[in-house]
Amino acid sequence: MPKWFLPLALVCGLMFAASPLVIASADYESTMGLVQKIFYYHMPSAWMFLISAIVCGVSSVRFLVTGDHRHDRTALAAAELTVLFGLITLVTGPLWARRAWGTFWVWDARTTSSLVSWMISWAYLILRRYGGPGSENLAAGLAIFGTANVAFIYVSVNYWRTIHPATTVVPKLPFSMGFPLWFCVAAFTLLFVLLLKLRVRVEEQQARVDELYLSLDDFGR
Amino acid sequence: MTIFKRVSVLISMILLQATLILAQQPSQQGEFLPIDQLPPEDQLPAAPLLIAAYSFVLVVLFLYIVSLARRLTSVQREMDRLDANIKQGGRA
Repeated sequence: MPKWFLPLALVCGLMFAASPLVIASADYESTMGLVQKIFYYHMPSAWMFLISAIVCGVSSVRFLVTGDHRHDRTALAAAELTVLFGLITLVTGPLWARRAWGTFWVWDARTTSSLVSWMISWAYLILRRYGGPGSENLAAGLAIFGTANVAFIYVSVNYWRTIHPATTVVPKLPFSMGFPLWFCVAAFTLLFVLLLKLRVRVEEQQARVDELYLSLDDFGR
Repeated sequence: MTIFKRVSVLISMILLQATLILAQQPSQQGEFLPIDQLPPEDQLPAAPLLIAAYSFVLVVLFLYIVSLARRLTSVQREMDRLDANIKQGGRA
């Protein structure tokens, strides 16, 4: 592993350990009260969900253009993280909505497109696992489709009728709520970088194992 | 009043109620406004949801990190074993 990995992992661990204290110090929101504090993990995980989908799509494009399998490994790692952060987003959101909206789920543009994006990531992983030889090219195409959906997810709250908070909420946050949010965004971004590096490392080692098996076959002949 | 008329009136009333309920849907929020004190009645119903959300996030992240560490250890072990086999084959 690179030299920066361990210090960064330590910083990330400390940030996550401190995050409950930072979130507790944030002011209560006037209409939603205590339950609005789910926001401080929900929104950063939603951003990481979208960022990992973008990383997956961009790496897939680079793989299709260059044929370099390093990009394919990055795309696969990012797809797994899209599923992970998507799951967190799609579970914490409804828990917040139950108190704030009176229901766990509404089929509006934001929630539905997020669910579709999450299912595309699952499809990518299933295709890679069971698709057989050559499935990486087909999966790369699917990843590009998933990335195109990211822009739609982001702007959907501004164009369609929904009770989901608009994208204007974050820039208008006062310091007492903005600081905990950006603290958590930093912690989740660090976590995303570390997990991506670790997951790519697993794929790199697996590729090396495959090469070693081929060498053993050569010895056998 | 015939049964048909009674059913028609009932259906019309239900449709009217449904329209009113849909019209009362809360409007979309454009910003979050902080308050100094949390109303006491808000504390209990929200707490289990808040605890569930944070617990879920931490448990899922922990399980994923454990799964990654196990996969990395397993692949590393397999690589060491194959390296040793190749070296033995080279010597033979």
